[in-house]
Amino acid sequence: MSEPAVAVTGVTKTFPVPFKRQSVIAVRDLNLQVEAGQVYGLLGPNGSGKSTTLKIILGLVSPTRGTAEIFGRESKEVASREAVGFLPESPYFYKYLTGAETLRFYGKLCGLRGPKLVTRVDELLELVGLTNARDRRLGGYSKGMLQRIGLAQALVHEPRLVVLDEPTAGVDPVGSREIRDLILDLKRRGITVLLSSHLLDQVQEVCDRVGILADGILVRDGPVDELLAVENRTEVVFENGSDELGQQLETLIRAAGGQLIERRKSRKTLERLFLDATRK
Amino acid sequence: MAAITANTLTELTRLKVFYVLLLFALVLIGSSIFMARLTFQQEFQVLKDISLGAMSIFTSLLAIVATARMLPQDIEDRTVYTILAKPVPRFEYLVGKLGGVLLLLTITTLIMTALFLAVLSFREQAALAETTRQMAGLPQEQLTEALRAVRAATFNADLIPGISVLFLKACLLASLTLFISTFATTNIFTVVVTVFIYFIGHLQGTAREFWLQEHGGSWISRTFLAVVALLFPDLQLFNLADEVVTGAAIPLEIFLKTAALGCFYTLIYLLLATAVFNAREL
Ligand SMILES: Nc1ncnc2c1ncn2[C@@H]1O[C@H](COP(=O)(O)OP(=O)(O)OP(=O)(O)O)[C@@H](O)[C@H]1O
Ligand SMILES: [Mg+2]
Repeated sequence: MSEPAVAVTGVTKTFPVPFKRQSVIAVRDLNLQVEAGQVYGLLGPNGSGKSTTLKIILGLVSPTRGTAEIFGRESKEVASREAVGFLPESPYFYKYLTGAETLRFYGKLCGLRGPKLVTRVDELLELVGLTNARDRRLGGYSKGMLQRIGLAQALVHEPRLVVLDEPTAGVDPVGSREIRDLILDLKRRGITVLLSSHLLDQVQEVCDRVGILADGILVRDGPVDELLAVENRTEVVFENGSDELGQQLETLIRAAGGQLIERRKSRKTLERLFLDATRK
Repeated sequence: MAAITANTLTELTRLKVFYVLLLFALVLIGSSIFMARLTFQQEFQVLKDISLGAMSIFTSLLAIVATARMLPQDIEDRTVYTILAKPVPRFEYLVGKLGGVLLLLTITTLIMTALFLAVLSFREQAALAETTRQMAGLPQEQLTEALRAVRAATFNADLIPGISVLFLKACLLASLTLFISTFATTNIFTVVVTVFIYFIGHLQGTAREFWLQEHGGSWISRTFLAVVALLFPDLQLFNLADEVVTGAAIPLEIFLKTAALGCFYTLIYLLLATAVFNAREL
C-alpha cells in the first residue's frame, strides 16, 4: 500500500468552556489511519468526538496537539482539500438556491466551469435521485433530500476521499439503502470513504474497518470481520431441510465433540420487510 | 471567489433588499412635490441636500444590515463547513462575501444616482420653461443669462465625486461590519457596535481638534489619536455633501485623499477580519 488516505497522529482537541476553569476534551491522543480504497466507519455514542475528529481531518477545526494528513498533505493546507469531499452532519445549504444551482455553486468552488460543470450537475442529480426536484429551492426540501444534495455536493469534484458525517441520518430506509449502495459503488471505483454513524447494522454492512470512540478515546480499531468474529463458533444456515436433518446435524456435532448452541428459524430483517412492502 | 461573490449577490437580491430603492424613489418624489413653492435655486439646493442625505443613509444602512448577518448565518447553518471543506482559503471566502455586498452597493448607488439625476433634470426642464414664460417680454440676452443661471444651479460636476465618496463610505462600513461579525456572538451586537462606531466616527473630527488643543501634539497623544482613528474612522471626511449642495467645487486633491482613505480603511478591515476569522474555531 502507498501512503494512507487519512493519517491522524497524536491528536488532542480541547474546547474551552466559557466562564469555567476546566475545558472539554473532545478528542484524546487519537491515532487513526485509513488506507486508500477502504471504507472506514467511526462509531461512538453522542458527544464522543466523531464529528470533531472529522472536522480536524478536514482542517475546519485545528487540533490542540498532533497532526492530521490527507494523502500525505497536512489538513492545514488548503490544497489538501482538493482530494476530499465532505458531508457535514445535518447540513443546511443556501435556502434561496435550487438543487441544480447549489451543485453548480459548489462545482465552481472546486474550479469546475462551463459544459463540464453542466454535465456533472446533471449526473449528480441523477445519481442521488433528485432530478425531479432540481429546480425547486432548497428551502422546500425535506431532511432526506437535503442529505442527498449534501452527498452530491461532496462528490462534485470527483474526490479520491469522501468524508461523511452520519450520511443516513433522517433518510428513509429506501434512501438509506440507496446511500449504502452508493458507498459500495464508490468503493468499487477505488474511492476511500470515511463515515461516522450510529446505525451499527449499516456500518457492519458497508465498512471494511471500524473504530469505536468513547469519550474521545479510540477504544477499538480493526477490520470488521476480525473484530466481530467469535473465535470458536460457526453458523450454518440451510434451506428446505427437514427437522430430521437438524437432528442428524446435532448428533454429528456431538459426536465430533462440539456443542449445538442455538437452532432457530431464519427471519428476514425488518429492513427487508419494509423494502419489499414499499417497493412500487 | 467569483462564485462566492455571485452567490452572495444572488442571496441579497432574493432577500429583496432592493426595496430600499423604492423607498429612495418615494423620498425623492415626495420631496420634490412639497418644494414647488421655493425659488429654483433654493429648490435645487434642497433637492440635492435631501437626495444626498438619503443616499448616504440608505447606502450605509444597506451596507451594515446586508453584511451583519452574512457570516453568523453561514456559521449557524454550518454552510460554512461545506464551503471551507472545498479548496477555498478563508481569505477568499471573506473577500467573496464582501465582494457580493460591494457589488450590491455599486448597483444600488448607480440606480439611486440615475433616479436622482432623472428627477433633477425633470425639475430643470420645469424651471427652464417657467423662466422662459416669465421673461417672455424681455430682451433675448437677459433670457439667455437667466437660463444659464438655472442650468448652473442644477447640474454641477461635483455631484459625481460627492456620490462616489458616499459609496466609498458605505464600502468602508460593509468591511467594518464584516470585521465585527467575525468575532461577534450575535447579529444584534454587530449592528449595534457598527452603528455606535458610525456615530462616533461622525463626531470624531471635532473631538480630535478639541483633544489636540488640550493636550498638544506630543507623540503619546498622537499615537493615541492614531489608534482611535483606526477604531473609529473619521466619517465626517466622507461628507462632501455641503460643498456639493452649494455648488462649491471639491478640490481634486481632497477628493483623491478621501477616496484613498476609504479604500485604505476597507482593506484594513478586510485584513483584520481575515486575521480573526483564520484563528477562529468554527
Ligand atoms: N465548538 C465546540 N465548542 C465547545 N465544545 C464542543 C464544540 N464542538 C464539540 N464540542 C464538544 O466536544 C465533544 C464531542 O463532540 P462531537 O460533536 O465531536 O461529538 P459526536 O461524536 O459527533 O456526537 P454526535 O453523535 O452527537 O454527533 C462534546 O462533548 C461537545 O460538547
Ligand atoms: Mg456528530
